[in-house]
Amino acid sequence: MANSGTQSRKYRLQGAGLDLALPYLMLAPGLLIVLGVLVYPLWDGLRASTKVYRYGSVVADVGMQNYIKLWSDPQFLNSLWVTVEFVALSVTFEAILGFALALFCLREFRGIRLLRTILIIPMVITPVVVAIVFRLIYASDAGMLTAISEWMGGGQVQILGSPVKAFIGLVVLDVWEWTPLMFLILLAGLQSLPHEPFEAARVDGAGNWRVFADLTFPMMRPVLAIAIVLRTIDAFGTFDQVFVLTRGGPGEATRLVSIYGYDTAFKFQQTGYAAALFVTIGLVVLALAFSAVRLLRRVDAS
Amino acid sequence: MNSRLARIGVMSAVLAIVLLPIYWLVSTSLKSNREITQEGTLYPHLPTLDNYIRLFTEKQFGAYLTNSLVVTFFSVAIALVAGAMGAYAIARFRLPFAMERKVGLFLLTLRIVPPVVILIPVYLLMLKLGLLDSWLGLIATYTAFNITFCVWMMESFFREIPVDLEEAAMVDGDSRFGAFRRITLPLAAPGLAATAIFAVLVTFNEFLFALALTATPRAMTMPRGTATLIGRIDTDWASMSAAGVIGALPIVFFALLVQRHLVRGLTMGAVK
Repeated sequence: MANSGTQSRKYRLQGAGLDLALPYLMLAPGLLIVLGVLVYPLWDGLRASTKVYRYGSVVADVGMQNYIKLWSDPQFLNSLWVTVEFVALSVTFEAILGFALALFCLREFRGIRLLRTILIIPMVITPVVVAIVFRLIYASDAGMLTAISEWMGGGQVQILGSPVKAFIGLVVLDVWEWTPLMFLILLAGLQSLPHEPFEAARVDGAGNWRVFADLTFPMMRPVLAIAIVLRTIDAFGTFDQVFVLTRGGPGEATRLVSIYGYDTAFKFQQTGYAAALFVTIGLVVLALAFSAVRLLRRVDAS
Repeated sequence: MNSRLARIGVMSAVLAIVLLPIYWLVSTSLKSNREITQEGTLYPHLPTLDNYIRLFTEKQFGAYLTNSLVVTFFSVAIALVAGAMGAYAIARFRLPFAMERKVGLFLLTLRIVPPVVILIPVYLLMLKLGLLDSWLGLIATYTAFNITFCVWMMESFFREIPVDLEEAAMVDGDSRFGAFRRITLPLAAPGLAATAIFAVLVTFNEFLFALALTATPRAMTMPRGTATLIGRIDTDWASMSAAGVIGALPIVFFALLVQRHLVRGLTMGAVK
């Protein structure tokens, strides 16, 4: 896109005098704010992660010890495992449901606009409120499930008191909240596919399943990959919903790394250790993102 | 005929799954605590607005709402101005050492790092500056997050606008900045709107930093204030559900109003 013609024109546009300083003047305000409020803290966080704090002040410099300690901390390892399970389950269900719904909505029909409008709601509602909504569904006394069960003659339904059910309850919340995003991305992807191969396959008499397996799915792989990567990165940092729904409990059943990190910092006041934990999470997510970018470049090239 | 039935079936299933939880929230917010916990009714038999009134008279939701609106407005407005200028510089100028491209890539990387990574140092920074529990502390934090997003999104919008229009304006005597302000910016208005909308959504809904950086109704935002209603043992379901409705209403209303512009921001430009 950027051929030499537009390049040289841009040079010409730069003009002289005050105009020479213009790009710097335009970049400065944003860059200064970002440097002060994001980059400096990032650097400060790296520094803090090598220290031990007591009551808010540094008492020892321990180098990489905090990072090493993480990998023998059973609570951290458990929270990491819970997070991986949570992300894997949620994103898988969201991808399957979102894809199925997108395929279903591909043919325009009446009511599709209403459907798309309604599907925007879960992902724009404040995550804290989403968690309240699900507490109101799961609560054993005031919950929707209990009310329905009692209406049908059953008893109270317990969800958040049992480790396994609470975890599943959290996955259901995430699927409710984020399947619509999957759906929107995948629908846009499906709508941008070329028509010719599909027409040709129909002429050749291919059935629905063959068309899907040989054409739709392979052609949709890049979009599917982007959607899954975006959602995975996002789900890895899930905090608000868990904080309000279960606070990580019962026991450690829903304690994601973000919750464990928050507690380590603000409840147990282990500032340096928590900083190391968060830096580690950041590195994991960046690694995910960069491998995803490489994956996409490869898909683009082929 | 069969496929039509299937369509209606799937449609109603999806609508029910999305709307039933919301119905339950709204319906609970219109019941008294007695009706909620003891009678377990499926709809409010004695609908009341008491829960909402109590939020504003006893629980300071007026303050939370004000804080949210002020913080969201300023952090989005500042980020939009600073972000649009930065994005324009990156999209249009060629600086020595390809500096503009490096700045762009740098901001994008910052955007990918989960915010939780800098939670502790930002907390320590605000503590040092005496900005804990203040509008300014929240505005500074949110503005910075919004800038990384605004620059990245606005850059692609500016690239779609042909350079010739600015050149023509400059031939007619406009300065470089004048051409940006009078020609490019108005043309990028739809993009600017889409960016602002998404920034408003994210900022209004933010919870983690509000949780760490605020402690009293002086600066607590809506999500933060709502979370304080959740007790350890006893839960005031009536207030909580009303708070949920009040907390979600402005942003859902806003989102439905501007839904056309929303999808690009939500999907992070994965598909144009």
